[in-house]
Amino acid sequence: MTATMERSFPKRGGEQLYAPLPAKIIGAKQLTDLERLLEIQLSDGKDLGHRPGQFVQVSVFGFGEAPISVSSSPAKKGSFELCVRNMGGLTGALHRMGEGDTVGIRGPFGNGFPMTCMAKMDVLIVAGGIGMAPVRSVIQSILADRDRYARLIVLYGSRTPGDVLFTDEVEHWQADPRNEILLSVDRGDDTWKGHVGVVTTLFPKIKVDPKAVIAALCGPPVMYRFVLAELHALRVPDQQILLSLERRMKCGMGKCGHCQIDDKCVCIDGPVFTAAEAKSMHESI
Amino acid sequence: MREKAVLEAGDLPGWLAGIRGKTPVMAPVKRGRVSFTFAWIDSPADVRLDYVRTILPPKQALLPPREDLLRLHPDLTAAPAVSAEPFVLFGVHPCDLTAINQLDWSMLQRHNVTDPYYDARRRAAAIVALDCLPDRYCFCSSIGSGRTRQGADVFLTPLEGGYFVEALTGKGEALLKRAKLRSPSADEAAAAKAFPEEKERRTLLRLDAPVADLPDLLEEHYESPVWESTALRCYSCGTCTNCCPTCFCFDVKELPDLTLGSATRWRLYDSCQYNDFAIVAGGHNFRRERQDRARHRWFRKFVYLNREHGQPFCVGCGRCSQQCTAGISLVDVLNSVIAEAKERVA
Repeated sequence: MTATMERSFPKRGGEQLYAPLPAKIIGAKQLTDLERLLEIQLSDGKDLGHRPGQFVQVSVFGFGEAPISVSSSPAKKGSFELCVRNMGGLTGALHRMGEGDTVGIRGPFGNGFPMTCMAKMDVLIVAGGIGMAPVRSVIQSILADRDRYARLIVLYGSRTPGDVLFTDEVEHWQADPRNEILLSVDRGDDTWKGHVGVVTTLFPKIKVDPKAVIAALCGPPVMYRFVLAELHALRVPDQQILLSLERRMKCGMGKCGHCQIDDKCVCIDGPVFTAAEAKSMHESI
Repeated sequence: MREKAVLEAGDLPGWLAGIRGKTPVMAPVKRGRVSFTFAWIDSPADVRLDYVRTILPPKQALLPPREDLLRLHPDLTAAPAVSAEPFVLFGVHPCDLTAINQLDWSMLQRHNVTDPYYDARRRAAAIVALDCLPDRYCFCSSIGSGRTRQGADVFLTPLEGGYFVEALTGKGEALLKRAKLRSPSADEAAAAKAFPEEKERRTLLRLDAPVADLPDLLEEHYESPVWESTALRCYSCGTCTNCCPTCFCFDVKELPDLTLGSATRWRLYDSCQYNDFAIVAGGHNFRRERQDRARHRWFRKFVYLNREHGQPFCVGCGRCSQQCTAGISLVDVLNSVIAEAKERVA
């Protein structure tokens, strides 16, 4: 399996190549102190037409553009969701915006997760922090077509209980006995009844058949090193491990050079790579 | 439709004036005491065809250092600023012409995405190329860029007291209608024919390995101490990429006007040598160490794009070596790695 077999190219070409499509924020919800979920509808009335794991370039008037992963499943029609962490200028502006405000959208860009390869397989998702945002679209896609996949195992690590994203939804996922959804926080508090420790400390709690599993990882670079070690200990082959890599994409079309990892463009060849591909790239993690 | 003729040096200003009367002309001019640069000219008398290299390459006519992309409105509707009037790019040396061919691929064809801004400027351009003789920084003969004619509409070869003139395209023939030409003598034709040989003979700086060998050779020396020793001298100032005729990385910025009635989004040259080039939100820097950034520059030019396109993204113009604030020579660095490889074999 290679993660690069599915590719998308910009829908708007010619003179409009760098022009965003206006879009309305039709819903906004503060998830944590740092993260806000925005529901967005394109002005042309069409679906975004993305695959789980792809990203869009979001324009905010006067602030510019930033690459943000799509956080909802393509099964959701009429709109899509972005989970935005407030990191400063543009994302700070998005946190001050709400229903009825206008943003601009280019994309979707990148390859996304190869969902067809996950069919009939056990899917193990390991997410750290804001890394839950892109893999949520994978989880939602699996849940929307649950019988197409075998087991769904989610290991989700956050810093503190207050940082856990999509808490209501996670409870909903946990309610289905076919899913194994395990949460962990680095530091607990009085209210936290669950597991405490970095996300890798959840591995002893799960059983994985290395031949039948596809693992999808999204989190900070340091998480990849430790999770890969756990997966190797479980003898999961590198071709069955998918990593979503973060870079500073400016154009999304392989021109600007910012997202280059060795000879790959993350915006074209990624952001999803197999661990086998990532290992062959010096600068991947 | 190949037309061969001679333009007397004294008739050059007249020809330029004729062209300038119809379209804007970018050509080499003197800048300061010893430097040259490409500039939009007012007077043909300012044009200097005796230059060896300009500070910035003629790339600036096609991919300007700063270029407006969009005018945005608060409702996020956008007006693309794609437009270009016909112009003449005059006096382009074969190395820089090679670089324009490389940019044509990276901006127009790579990943099947056509950059509309570059496309408009490239279509609007007529290029008059000019052959040249090297100085101690030139190494076009090692790259194979010194004899390029592809991409030019007119090709000029310097002769004693004038230029041997060839129209290579219909656009070139049209340009030459304004020139006062005469037939070449047998000696002049012979001198023009011998010129590329003479140029190669005078090019003393050499790479110690064929460019086709560099992808594998460099990759085997990813951990070479040369990258660290180069980084110890490098200031990460970005001069090398900013003056490079093939570098095409850019950043995108936006600023609203004071009334917030509209905003301008533009792109500008960026440099992989800058500390913040590979930083992502949250502060993680994927090329934090100076040596990682230095190595990336050589690898992108001689490994990644060399393999992808079949040609290195370096044309041997010598600008980066001449202008480096720390005196780092691109050729010395490559030859050090090549020497390391040869030592290992020996």
